[in-house]
Amino acid sequence: MSSAPYNYNYIFKYIIIGDMGVGKSCLLHQFTEKKFMANCPHTIGVEFGTRIIEVDDKKIKLQIWDTAGQERFRAVTRSYYRGAAGALMVYDITRRSTYNHLSSWLTDTRNLTNPNTVIFLIGNKSDLESTREVTYEEAKEFADENGLMFLEASAMSGQNVEEAFLETARKIYQNIQEGRLDLNASESGVQHRPSQPGRTSLTNEAPNTKDQCSC
Amino acid sequence: MNTDPAMTSKSTTLSSLNSIPTISAAVSSSGLLGSVASDNDMRDGEISLNTIEIVQRKFKDNEKVLSIFEAYQIIGQEHRSRLLALVVSVAGGTYAVFSLATARLPPRNVNDLSIDKIFALNETFQIGSDKKGSISQLQFDLKTADEAAVKYFYYPIISAEGASDFETFHAQIISAKFSMTHSTAATESILSYSWLNDYRQIGEVKQELKRRENEYIVFKDFIVYCGTWNVNNKPYSDSPLHLWLSNGEQPADIYAIALQELDTSAKAITFSENRPDPMWISKMLSSLHKDGEYEELTSVRLVGMMLTIIIRKQLRPYIARCRVKTVARGVFNTLGNKGGVAVSIQLNEGNLCFVNSHLAAHMAFVEARNEDYAGIVRGLVFDDDLKRTINDHDHIFWIGDLNYRIEEPPGLQLPCNRASPNAYDVLMKYDQLRIEMGKGNCFDGYSEGRIKFRPTYKYDVGTDNFDSSEKQRAPAYCDRVLWKGVRIEQLAYNSIMEIRQSDHKPVYAIFRVKIKTKDEKRYKRIHEEVLKLVDKRENENQPQISVDKTVLDFGVVRFNELSVCDFTVSNNCPMPVEFMFKVKDPPLNDICEKWLQVEPRAETLMTDSTKRVRVKLLADVRSITGLLKKIRTTNWKFDFDILILHVKNGPDMFLTVTGEYKPSCFGLSVETLCRTNQPLNTYTQAQVKDLMNDDSPEFRVTMPREFFFLIDYLHKQGNKVEGAFETLEYKHARSLQFNVIRDWLDTWSSEEFPGTPQAAAEALLMLLDLPEKPLLDPFVEDLLQTNTAAEAMELISLLSSPRRNVFVHLCMFLRQGIERQYYNLQHVASVFGRILLRSTAHAGRDFYRETRCRDFMHRFISSDIGGTLSTGIADSSGISGVGGGANGGSSNGGGGGDGSNTARINAIN
Repeated sequence: MSSAPYNYNYIFKYIIIGDMGVGKSCLLHQFTEKKFMANCPHTIGVEFGTRIIEVDDKKIKLQIWDTAGQERFRAVTRSYYRGAAGALMVYDITRRSTYNHLSSWLTDTRNLTNPNTVIFLIGNKSDLESTREVTYEEAKEFADENGLMFLEASAMSGQNVEEAFLETARKIYQNIQEGRLDLNASESGVQHRPSQPGRTSLTNEAPNTKDQCSC
Repeated sequence: MNTDPAMTSKSTTLSSLNSIPTISAAVSSSGLLGSVASDNDMRDGEISLNTIEIVQRKFKDNEKVLSIFEAYQIIGQEHRSRLLALVVSVAGGTYAVFSLATARLPPRNVNDLSIDKIFALNETFQIGSDKKGSISQLQFDLKTADEAAVKYFYYPIISAEGASDFETFHAQIISAKFSMTHSTAATESILSYSWLNDYRQIGEVKQELKRRENEYIVFKDFIVYCGTWNVNNKPYSDSPLHLWLSNGEQPADIYAIALQELDTSAKAITFSENRPDPMWISKMLSSLHKDGEYEELTSVRLVGMMLTIIIRKQLRPYIARCRVKTVARGVFNTLGNKGGVAVSIQLNEGNLCFVNSHLAAHMAFVEARNEDYAGIVRGLVFDDDLKRTINDHDHIFWIGDLNYRIEEPPGLQLPCNRASPNAYDVLMKYDQLRIEMGKGNCFDGYSEGRIKFRPTYKYDVGTDNFDSSEKQRAPAYCDRVLWKGVRIEQLAYNSIMEIRQSDHKPVYAIFRVKIKTKDEKRYKRIHEEVLKLVDKRENENQPQISVDKTVLDFGVVRFNELSVCDFTVSNNCPMPVEFMFKVKDPPLNDICEKWLQVEPRAETLMTDSTKRVRVKLLADVRSITGLLKKIRTTNWKFDFDILILHVKNGPDMFLTVTGEYKPSCFGLSVETLCRTNQPLNTYTQAQVKDLMNDDSPEFRVTMPREFFFLIDYLHKQGNKVEGAFETLEYKHARSLQFNVIRDWLDTWSSEEFPGTPQAAAEALLMLLDLPEKPLLDPFVEDLLQTNTAAEAMELISLLSSPRRNVFVHLCMFLRQGIERQYYNLQHVASVFGRILLRSTAHAGRDFYRETRCRDFMHRFISSDIGGTLSTGIADSSGISGVGGGANGGSSNGGGGGDGSNTARINAIN
């Protein structure tokens, strides 16, 4: 077996943003550990998690930056948006205020990331149906108006968490395939790793073999 | 060092050219003494790389291999070769020593190398050479905080081209470590070793996959059919080849068909005929097992020897690699009438090698045959990714006319013709091949099935009769099929008497080979599991630190007073952690605001150790302007700063520096000061923020009291003001005494001024210098364009009334002082020019501009200016009312004090 220079073909940088207490860290934890983190303390800073996923047979390492949601850190967290290929913008379906603030989060995201950054809106805590304050339809409309991808998810049950992270990656990958992302630009949030040499398929080698035999 | 990609691709092209048999087997003038094999080696583009260049290929473009060193480790009873490479990351500016396991020494290809250990050349790195009680003087060990000490040994001679001797290598490591630990850049900024993580992780995945191989590797049965026939230079004829090639119950998966003496003419030998014979191949293809569909995979020929590999069609997708190679062992080891041709293929995860050889003939030449064998083994190197030799395969089938004879003991008539199996066993006792193998002289490790057929040589052509010619050559088992490797089971081994075209009888052997096969489904699952595990470890093994507080509360913070707050960083995770404060984005470009100092700014913490970090806060002449600006513009609850404590390869932590700024007059604009109706010390930070942001044109007084108090005091000092207004150095502000003056001003004290006239002059300069905008804002640049005081006064009359009033009064006060020769005109003009017309663009000192500022001030404070100022004052006739306003507005100040100030203002007029 040939040695692969990397375990993955791409690195995508994600950021998770949104008001304090909407469950950003829990979504990350659910995605990387497949576990719900109860009594999660407030993030005072920026933490990150990684996970290697597969899109289209390509291994992609997601490097996910989970930011503090507190208002007082807003100015500081802005410096983390740069170079994000994906932004997961989270609100809490049981707290309208977190939904109302989305436009300001969206403004920051649009201002601080590149135009091809994939923005995915997540309405978290979908398991708490009884205390819902924001309807799916309303948020869906907001997402459509602003060209965002959207899902309601639950970091508690895990519902749609995987989907949100993977859909974002698929969209980024699609942007790469369609040439919309300049991989050489440091702001793209994507690093390409040379793919592993792997095994040469016979179809490529057959003519070669023939040459060697028949001359 | 060959790191140029263009060079690399060129050498690859060369090597593929060389692999064309025409060239590799051609008669070479330089090969007369050496073997052809070594000649091949020399001309191979890949092999022309020296070891350091091969090692370089293991790394990325911006990682340079500076030096390599050959060593070995003793693990159990085994010596394991290691190449140590000193590598620098050009981007990170950091060094590391990689310990590379090498499959061969010297390595022939980058794939021979795998990373065994990584030693970062950080401050914990040590290279030791404790020779006490050791078995060898030639040893040393390497260790870092991440890697336990590893003992390496080395030989006094170097075999890898480009490798350093120990002294050189040692010196290079020491100097690399020295350059890193002693460069200011390295200690101050981030020591970047993150490039090493990729290698650590790849190693982890590979190791883990290898460890779990048994979970996804299955062994799949394949039938391998080997045939060999010396055709005795006879052209193709209608021999019933199917008798030879279609045996066995089930159709074979792979055929390896070896012919010898295809064409031994002088012409063919001289020109190294290497074109496979299509007639023979098509005859073979039509003579195979009826139940299989076959195609030729490859054929390789060297003069009389041809090896054809035929596979079942459905096997194609599973053949990952196919390479051919020839080795000539004829006259001078260059002619191809003897030697070997071979094919290497990878089927699933198994590597198979087929060799067809025609070794030296004649009864007496046993040793020549042994040498031919050894020469082929030595010289046959495939041009594949690993530069495999015959022995680098899992399953090896060596077939051909090996030419070993039966040495008839004198007087014994061997039972060549008898059909009893035991008769053959007797014959085998005298078989040179078996004898030589038994002595270990050739075919080491090879097996052969029991022979139950008549000797295959030498027959009268067209008959089953042994040689009846004059020579009466003794019958022999020249034609053999041997195998070596794992999981090979022979199913059949026989010769075909009915094919009578040659003086040899064809031989075939059928094997069942269990070939390593990846169960793709299981492999995919396990690969994913391994990646997940590595992910998980990466997430879990993120360096973590803890701090005893994330909010650094400085309590009440006052102008020009140093406050200190400490906090503790602890490393409770199992690895050393590097933390540092992150430099924030422009315009700050620093880890903290100007009013803060953090010490230390970066540190490495060993496990279970702590570090006290001190944060100092000082809002002084240097920083108050920025601090007040930040207070004025912050929407959210004001924090002095948020420090970003970054953990290398780990999370960032935000440390909030908070407290309550106790307002002072210093740094506030004259407008703000004119809006106060109480001493500054009675305001809260929030109230002052409101005052600062209030842009109504209503003012409580026409001129700030703080100015008035200072001007009044200075005025009363008469000529005792020597040295005042001469520099902007703010020397007095550095003494504790100055804060008493600050309090005198901020409380509107009725006490005597608690300092010297020089300190009062400095305080006055500070009042004018520290606000965000200069006094003559927003007309600074326009005013500098004016040529006369009268022209300037038109603009000055447009200033806000507090600014205008302060300016006019200041000028009158200064002019009077200059007239009376208390102050030096040039100094005053220069100092006030720089302050009042301060550029808001943060450029360095501009002497031309300073000259213009000084000239501007000159026009207002020199005595010959006459009544220009009074025009300005006429506009602001309320000046005399300053004191009155202050009186009216202030509820606490001593009436007498204010009253006397008023009187003094009037006196100035």
